[in-house]
Amino acid sequence: MAKQHIWEAQTEIELGEYRPVELTLDRCIKCNICVSACPVTAVTDLFPGPKYEGPQGGRFRQKRQETPDHSVDYCSGCRVCNMVCPTGVRIAEINARARADIVAQGKQLLLGRLRNNLLARPELLGKVGQPLAPLANVALHGKLGSWLAEKTLGIAQNAPLPSFSRQKFSGWLKGHPTPTNAARKVVYFHGCSTEYYEPRVGKAAVQVLEANGFEVLVPPQNCCGLPLLSNGEFVAARAYHQSNIDHLLDYVKSGYVIVGTSTSCTLTLKEEAPELLDFYSEEAQLLATNTYDMNEFLLLLHDEGELRTDGLRPIPLTLPYHPPCQYRAHRIGRPAVELLDLIPELKIIESHVACCGVAGTYGYKSEKYEIAMAVGRPLFDFIHKTNAPFSVCDSETCRWQITHATNLPSVHPVELLAFAYGYAAEAPLLFLLPY
Amino acid sequence: MVMMNDSVLVIGAGLAGLTAAWQTAVSGKKTRLIAKGWGVTHWHAGCVDVLGFYKQQLVSSPVAAIGQLTADYPQHPYALTGIETVAEALAALQALCAEAGYPLHGSLERNWLLPTAVGTLRPTCLAPETMIAGDLRLDTPMLIVGFQHFGDFYAQMAADNLVAQGVLARGVMLDLPELAGRRVLTPVILAQLMEQPAFRAEVGRAVQPHVGEAARVGFPAVLGLQQAMAVKADLEGQLARPIFEIPILPPSVPGMRLHHILWHAIERAGGRVQEGMLVVGAEMEGGQVTAVYTEAAARQRSHRFDQYILATGGLLGGGLVTNFEGGVREVIFDLPVAGPSSRLEWFQQEFVTAMGHPIYRAGLEVDENLQPVAENGRPLYNNLYAAGSTLAHCDVIRERSLEGVALVTGYKVGRLVVGDS
Repeated sequence: MAKQHIWEAQTEIELGEYRPVELTLDRCIKCNICVSACPVTAVTDLFPGPKYEGPQGGRFRQKRQETPDHSVDYCSGCRVCNMVCPTGVRIAEINARARADIVAQGKQLLLGRLRNNLLARPELLGKVGQPLAPLANVALHGKLGSWLAEKTLGIAQNAPLPSFSRQKFSGWLKGHPTPTNAARKVVYFHGCSTEYYEPRVGKAAVQVLEANGFEVLVPPQNCCGLPLLSNGEFVAARAYHQSNIDHLLDYVKSGYVIVGTSTSCTLTLKEEAPELLDFYSEEAQLLATNTYDMNEFLLLLHDEGELRTDGLRPIPLTLPYHPPCQYRAHRIGRPAVELLDLIPELKIIESHVACCGVAGTYGYKSEKYEIAMAVGRPLFDFIHKTNAPFSVCDSETCRWQITHATNLPSVHPVELLAFAYGYAAEAPLLFLLPY
Repeated sequence: MVMMNDSVLVIGAGLAGLTAAWQTAVSGKKTRLIAKGWGVTHWHAGCVDVLGFYKQQLVSSPVAAIGQLTADYPQHPYALTGIETVAEALAALQALCAEAGYPLHGSLERNWLLPTAVGTLRPTCLAPETMIAGDLRLDTPMLIVGFQHFGDFYAQMAADNLVAQGVLARGVMLDLPELAGRRVLTPVILAQLMEQPAFRAEVGRAVQPHVGEAARVGFPAVLGLQQAMAVKADLEGQLARPIFEIPILPPSVPGMRLHHILWHAIERAGGRVQEGMLVVGAEMEGGQVTAVYTEAAARQRSHRFDQYILATGGLLGGGLVTNFEGGVREVIFDLPVAGPSSRLEWFQQEFVTAMGHPIYRAGLEVDENLQPVAENGRPLYNNLYAAGSTLAHCDVIRERSLEGVALVTGYKVGRLVVGDS
């Protein structure tokens, strides 16, 4: 492999051979380790467990036959099962595809499907709701609106839905001057959460990259489609993924890699969309090979000695950090912890709790809200015990769930890094730092 | 990745890997343990079998039998490590578990003889306090309790088989309202229930009428994950007699307890454990291992360390794989494997044979420093060590030495890497 800088895209790749994930079910030795680790099975009878749903149920799923069991819908996709399986069964992915079969067979109740589709289109919701931000927030979060949403659509009354931001990330970007002497360029994939709900994360990402000599390119892009994948809406998800490939591939071919702050978006581009959809075109593989999680990218930069580590502003705080479940699928360890270690005086206490519970759109649904809160309870207790003013987590839906349950703000690691690099913090971090 | 100085990468999270990582971490070495998943810790009985059978005889005194074993088989892992290391490793684990409030009892002088879930007798060297009241060297009568809605343990079958061997035992299956309504009942869920006082009270009330003449009461090994000793004390208080647990089908709650204790010890000492990391390649240069690669989404992740410890579990753990032609391959470094030279020599004629099957003695050839060696007896890579079931010249299932070999070789490798000889 030719020695390259991490910010240089690999344009010549060896195409991999991929086989459907269901084939891994034959590796199951019925050891039950997955069941012992599953955080959903631990709190509810409605989910018999990963072994039952994945490799066992998989043997009974045939394309033209009625799906044997709908309990697979209660799988949250947290992937603890995958991580602890000794033989490499891809349980979470098998379950995800089983959900899609239920949808494709028309076995999903209409109202449920409507609800899922609404929740699964944050970009659409954003496009419609964000321009009317204050009004839309009242409608979404007000008592009447949320009660109606539960009664008619099955969206939990207390669902930790985010608020629309007054200004979109792309709006801020328009007014942001391009650095004039940037030696390198990188593409930033912002995702729906940054664009419509938390543009401050995108701002921090741009600042951190610029502080390291990058010009940040933000080409047109669309929702990665993960919520659609999680809800079994594979036809729509495929269209979204192809669209992103069309938007981004020229940049890759011009030599630029893609970096994202949303662990779910980057996972979708790297692996989840190709794997769940059997979408392994050369272009899809090229995009995947050149997509990085922000923390992953910064650490690889650090490995090359190219990460700016001098003159960082100290953050004299002890903060709880929760690695989001998507990092399990990324399989790169817990890069945020290593990265935040570089900030002087900052002490991170890692959560060893399996899952915050929300699992994307899972915890928003009225039939799953209580399960999600039960799954996340050990995490909320852990955060309270640290007595910290806020928590740190890379995934947006986790942050919203954690804030909802703990009443404490939650920030992305990149926001701490931007502050350490000397940039002004934004709310909520602005009000929480000791100076 | 930046080369980490004075650092150790352990591959495999079985007892050998966890023990090695624990030893290097507490000694101040920057330690990372990577594993494709959990394994043996979640299956084994939660005891430490040092040597249960030798020459088809039940071993009552491990220290005596090990002396014979190492004389007859000078390549056995116990021969390579020496009996002092065996004792040291056991003592270290006992100290760690005692500190964690979960004492393991026993010594090399005598094996325990404990009942199994099917009513046979198993020898073991170290057993948790939650199991030892079941010792069958005592002949006091026992009641064995199961739960009707829990399909992984049949108290009456265990009792009947024990009776057939002259043990005074009776079995009963309890019908508990708390369990009746549940669709999913696993050992872990039961263990969590056992940590709730209300459930324990229900159990105690249900057992009481059946106790009769029994001097001790046995349960399936679900007596709590974090608070096993407290659960035991409570039940003993309710029943006014000693209680004990009997290991059952996986997942093994007692095994998970040991896993947690070792995992916590590693992390507390500054080490890091990362599961879900499957090693797919390694880089070697100039007689050294320079990197190991794990599978990540859309790429591979490199791990560059000073020293590497291979504890991938042999045929059981997947560190060794076989093929139809009779080949046995070590999957990460392609190290030479000692074992039968042809497929025809893998097995004895009889399926159940006291002799054991040669294929299960296959594994990595190592020197007395537990470093994999070439044919000339020299280490292949001067910063690579191996521990656990991946080693050749032992049949850990037949000998009932799985935990012993893992613990002792893991401990020894850990000490060697740190610089203690």
